Amino acid sequence: MTNILLLEDLPEIRAWLSSLVLQVFPDAQIAEAARVHDALGLVSAIKFDLALVDLGLPDGSGVDVVAALREHQPETQSVVVTIHDDDEHLFPALQAGAFGYILKEQARELIIEQLQRISQGEPPLSPSIARRVMAYFAAKSKPQPMSASSAAVPHVSLTDRETEVLLRVAKGYTLPEIGQQLTLSRHTIADYVKQIYRKLNVSSRAEAALEAQRLGLFGR
Amino acid sequence: MQRPCPQPAARPPARGISRSGWHHGLHVLLCLGLLWLAAAGAAAQTQTVRIHAAQAVAADSLDFPAEQSAPLVDLPDAWSVSRPGSDGPVWYRLSFTAPGLHETGELLALFIEHVCTNLQVHLNGQLIHSGGRMHEPITRNCSHPQLVSLPAGLIRPGLNSLDLKVVGHPLQRVASIHRAGALSALEIGPHSVLTGKHARQVALNVAVPQAVSAMLLLLGSFMFVLGWTNRRESHLAYFGALSVGWALIESRLWLRDLPFDNAATELLLCAMLPLLTWASVQFLLRFAQYRHRWIDIALPLQAIVMPATLLLAGPERLYATASFWYMLLPLQTLAAAAFYLRTQYHERRRSFWPMALLLCMATVGLVAEYAAQMLGTHGLPMQLAQTALPVMMVLVGLRLLQQQERALPAAEDSKAHLEVRIREATAEIERNFTQLAELRVEKVTERERKRIAADLHDDLGAKLLTIVHTSDSERISSLAREALEEMRLSVRGLTGKPVQLVDALGDWRAEVVSRLGQAGIEADWSAPVEDRPQTLSARAFVQTTRILREAISNVIKHSGATHCSLSCDIADGDMHIVVRDNGNGIPMELDGRLDRGHGMASMKHRAKQLQGQCLVESGPGYGTVIRLTLPLNRATELA
Repeated sequence: MTNILLLEDLPEIRAWLSSLVLQVFPDAQIAEAARVHDALGLVSAIKFDLALVDLGLPDGSGVDVVAALREHQPETQSVVVTIHDDDEHLFPALQAGAFGYILKEQARELIIEQLQRISQGEPPLSPSIARRVMAYFAAKSKPQPMSASSAAVPHVSLTDRETEVLLRVAKGYTLPEIGQQLTLSRHTIADYVKQIYRKLNVSSRAEAALEAQRLGLFGR
Repeated sequence: MQRPCPQPAARPPARGISRSGWHHGLHVLLCLGLLWLAAAGAAAQTQTVRIHAAQAVAADSLDFPAEQSAPLVDLPDAWSVSRPGSDGPVWYRLSFTAPGLHETGELLALFIEHVCTNLQVHLNGQLIHSGGRMHEPITRNCSHPQLVSLPAGLIRPGLNSLDLKVVGHPLQRVASIHRAGALSALEIGPHSVLTGKHARQVALNVAVPQAVSAMLLLLGSFMFVLGWTNRRESHLAYFGALSVGWALIESRLWLRDLPFDNAATELLLCAMLPLLTWASVQFLLRFAQYRHRWIDIALPLQAIVMPATLLLAGPERLYATASFWYMLLPLQTLAAAAFYLRTQYHERRRSFWPMALLLCMATVGLVAEYAAQMLGTHGLPMQLAQTALPVMMVLVGLRLLQQQERALPAAEDSKAHLEVRIREATAEIERNFTQLAELRVEKVTERERKRIAADLHDDLGAKLLTIVHTSDSERISSLAREALEEMRLSVRGLTGKPVQLVDALGDWRAEVVSRLGQAGIEADWSAPVEDRPQTLSARAFVQTTRILREAISNVIKHSGATHCSLSCDIADGDMHIVVRDNGNGIPMELDGRLDRGHGMASMKHRAKQLQGQCLVESGPGYGTVIRLTLPLNRATELA
């Protein structure tokens, strides 16, 4: 880990997060930004390995930065660091390509542990987010009237195993517990979760493209 | 027994009697079906004498011009044949004997079936009867049979002479042969017998047309108003006009004294006919739902042109000109009728036959009327036409009214149906409106909730967060963190949607297991695995979450436990949550003031708010048990 983007508007919190990141990744280069505009400028200039993005910012939402990273630097792991714990804020960020989320008010040690887990490829997944993801894919799998444009969009759906994992997360089981129940390793379960996040992003991007086509942005 | 003897002009009585009877019977049978009259007629056969010839001479004198030669003519005598162009007056003389009159004392009478236009009767040189005015405007008696009493005092025992002075118009100056100068055969007999015959003839020629006219007038006026006020039924208005017009035309049969001379009266009568044609043609076309601009113009135009041609042709050519029109006008009506029937046959087969039958009979009536007017056929066809045609019109009118009457309930039905539909639609709109309003309120509330939440997070949340991560004191940091969590729960509890019980259990399990695991405490969670249909209100979910959070915080911070078990049961509509640890229990010295730092009071308070209760059992050495009981339904209802 060398290059890390830190987008946070509160100076104290930014400094605190910065020290925390350095504790996890001692040799990291941290590029700090307080606004969406500045962050987008950094994204176009520097290649990041990790991005910690706040959502509610003075000049917009961090979701835009997550989307931009997904677009231009698909290898970058975006992690949302926010005060909001509700689906309404988190779900769009995950759809935009965020790989996990951290609630800011948690104790330092807890955040460090989560950050380590995320960097090791084990993204967090709360029951309410799991339910939301299930509902999202369930709605998509319903038969829809076929049209020429929708046929061009790749159909993304969850595998049975992924659905099984989501179902158990929704019931409140932790990822290690689910691993035990399914007699799978903790890393396999984590891979499923990563795959779910990835599909969420692919699906939402396909939807966005379809929507753009419908609005006439392309195809001329 | 008296026996009037026609001498010398009368034909043999036997023949006259037989013909009289034949006519009589047929009139009675065919025209009105008054069968009883036939019997009376049969009785009269033997007592009357029919006279088929008379001496005739044209002269405008006060008495029969005995000095002029008076040749014998056959009766009936139509002037158009015997003296074309003559307008009279013509004197007719016949003689008769009345033997045995003085013995019976019976009054004799002369019956004149048809005289046109008017006459006076002299008996033995004495004027005994006048039909009305003998000079223009002449009283029009063409349809009125005359009965003349022969006063007994004037009748001589021998030969009596009867003189008839007849005035009339030549055929050229009338529109119908029926109104040209003529005298029918005469009949002499007992007054009592001939009165009945006269009355029947008057009834047929005058009273029946009068009655039918009255009906037509009434029906026609009614239908005219009906059609006039309801423009979609314009055919009714035309039919009404036709009926009223026909009633007026019929009045020629019984209106005898008009203030106009013959030429004006004939013109007036003729001018009526194109108007009637207009009405009848338009009635049939409109009834067939057909309308054409040229027809709308042509028919009124014809109504002006026709009298104009009559005026231009002059009174001497009235009959010829009128005949042409009499040919043309019925043809128009017949064509319209044919068109109507053709349309009906294709479009409304069910109502076709009754109307077709009526129209066919009316057509027969029209043809008969035409024949009577043009060919001068007296008697049966004439009377048939004069009654059949208006009777058919009455029937057609009744049929129209019947259709109208049938249409009325249908219209009312559809109106009622429409009203129901409107009421339904109105209710639907109101429902939708209410739903929309509710949706709007929900939307506005949701937006407001989000705005408040965003404000709190951005402002209060950011400040609390800064305290959490910058405070040197662990206690202040922890308090700020708890305050932040409280804020979040409060915001969510404002107007949040109900939470499925199974979702709530999942959230609680994830939080409890995760927190205890991080604290190094072994966690044991047991809850119903299967899905439950119950829901928790947002407030109940938030409050229960707070209670659980507080309980777990106590376990982590104060109990010193290594194991904590949580169980959740649903029974009897209550939710039972038990948190049991194997820690130190609550120290005795804190027993009196459990609340401080442990949040026990707030847990109990929150449980009470949800109509539930929170019991704490603790003893040194065996840990702490917190029993939380919440009525589920009540908790669900609480919004």
